Amino acid sequence: MKVLVTGVIGSDTHIVGNRILSMALEKAGYKVVTLGALTPAGEFIKAAVETNADAIMVSSLYGQGELDCRGFRDLCVEAGLDDILLYVGGNLVVGKQPWSEVEERFLAMGFDRAAPPGTRIEAVIEWLARDFAARERGLRRAEA
Amino acid sequence: MNAPSLPDATRLPLSEARIADDVFRGMRQDNLARWPSGADVDFDEAVDLHKRLPLHKQLGWVMRKAVAERRCLTQPRGGFGTFEMQRALMVALDNEGLADIVPTTTDSYTRNEQWQLAQKGLEESETVGRSMLNGYPMVNYGVARARELIEAIDKPAIMLTGTTMPRLTSEIAFAGGYSGYLGSGIAYTTSYIKELSIEDGIRNYQYLDRLAAMYHEHGVELHRRQPGFLTGTNIPPSIAIITCVLDCLLAAAQGVKNYGVEMGETLHMVQDAAAVAACGELCQEYLAKKGHHGVFTPVTLLHWMSAWPQDEAQAAALISYGGTLAAISGAASVTTKSTHEAFGIPTPQANAEGLRMTRMAIYLARHIRLDGLAEFKREKELIGREVRAIIDRVLEMGDGDVAVGTVRAFEAGVLDIPWSPNRHCRSRVLPARDFDGYLRVLDPGLMPFPRDAMAIHEEALRKRAEREKVPFGPDLAVNSVYEISEPLGKLLPDQWE
Repeated sequence: MKVLVTGVIGSDTHIVGNRILSMALEKAGYKVVTLGALTPAGEFIKAAVETNADAIMVSSLYGQGELDCRGFRDLCVEAGLDDILLYVGGNLVVGKQPWSEVEERFLAMGFDRAAPPGTRIEAVIEWLARDFAARERGLRRAEA
Repeated sequence: MNAPSLPDATRLPLSEARIADDVFRGMRQDNLARWPSGADVDFDEAVDLHKRLPLHKQLGWVMRKAVAERRCLTQPRGGFGTFEMQRALMVALDNEGLADIVPTTTDSYTRNEQWQLAQKGLEESETVGRSMLNGYPMVNYGVARARELIEAIDKPAIMLTGTTMPRLTSEIAFAGGYSGYLGSGIAYTTSYIKELSIEDGIRNYQYLDRLAAMYHEHGVELHRRQPGFLTGTNIPPSIAIITCVLDCLLAAAQGVKNYGVEMGETLHMVQDAAAVAACGELCQEYLAKKGHHGVFTPVTLLHWMSAWPQDEAQAAALISYGGTLAAISGAASVTTKSTHEAFGIPTPQANAEGLRMTRMAIYLARHIRLDGLAEFKREKELIGREVRAIIDRVLEMGDGDVAVGTVRAFEAGVLDIPWSPNRHCRSRVLPARDFDGYLRVLDPGLMPFPRDAMAIHEEALRKRAEREKVPFGPDLAVNSVYEISEPLGKLLPDQWE
């Protein structure tokens, strides 16, 4: 069974969507390690190492995600999780900025996928299935 | 990370009792020494500053005026990461938004007392010229800058700080001329933090309430306010009001005389009107029971606090309707949102538009009241019975002490908050929207609501499950979280089946 780590990064308390996402991921057949609100980047990585996780899913709704997520991939690499699948989603920046720019910023930080506000849970579950399948074929993630 | 209070062997056992003056002096000294800007707080000078402010810039006076004249005031939220951006925002909300109350929201690092991180975010925001913080770092900028913000506007200013740790932020804001402060020990501790205990949250707000009361004792009536919207996710009125009453009693015990209570809108017009009426009355009922006299408790409603639609037209309807609900309910003020809500923090212009939409709706609905409706009376009576059942149990558990009773009641699950991030809160209680649009309790967890009241909730929710052909269970609660954010085509299809 694939293991996913979920949580809300930084000083952000918005737990509701993250909790519902975690419930849905469990229902979809994943083992979900839920870290909850107000989780420092380091705790995501620690939990991923301890549980031998396949993916880390970072939520942020309060606008400061851009500051909190910097260097997240580097922390993974330092911990030996070079290739772990990384997703980030929510209201990732302060204010209404064009999504293509925001997405680019987070992909450049080393996230494999970034989900804009309003992304459906079903879409995330489909990404996971396709990305894990792509990894079986030795790819980093599925196209699109 | 969340800077929990250090265990202090010398601290007094938890109680609702007023903090003694000599103890409080010591607490203030320690508190103000935690960041360099604390040294600029001079209480006597701050008292003089407030006394020099015109009455219309003093929120304590303005809230009383609103109630006396049956007005529903508007207040947005708003905070940016640099002083210049914050001043421009406050001026825009005042001038373009006609805001009756001008806010300053602090960033989330400040809320968690991570002033080093806030400093970095502030410097980076100044460098890149866009806000990297989701609010204004009040402690880092300090007292003199706060005063400049107050000078830039012609309205009273309130601090919105979504924090369980308000002690230094409030000292600096009050010294800067802010006359309102939103936050409370029970509501914010159960909604804005993961690790901090209910006890520590209560203690932190006892400090703030004592500070506000100390200003009052020196002739300055500040406005304290309680955020009963809690986690903002489908909170049924009785659960909100339980926290309003308990937090209000804690504040009154410290000597606060001007204490507003807030609730998020349920979006059901009758339920919101009944909730506002019940909330004010229940606060006064328990204040009298506990022997606290002359405490002013205006009620504020908040625009929808859960997930918002992305479509700006849909959001505009929610804003205008939110103004209508607040006016009809007789709330003393309404806290507004904008059409950017689904995307996060609005521009000053979008924020100002939200204020004007709300203001127009208030104007249109200002003389309408629902007090005579049978449905209103039924709902208000139901809320009252639910609130009394829980509060009486809490007081009993604390042997009459609100602080002790609250901590014990959360441990036992007698007090509980839906969707709470806090580990010390069971969060077993689960709300959902019923077929008629009322927010109901789907699962009370361990909260001792009266049996007949729960039967009413269950019947209403079973009706929804039946009509929508979904199982009666937690899915009802989850669907209710996202319902209002769904696209119109789904909510109200334009095609016949």
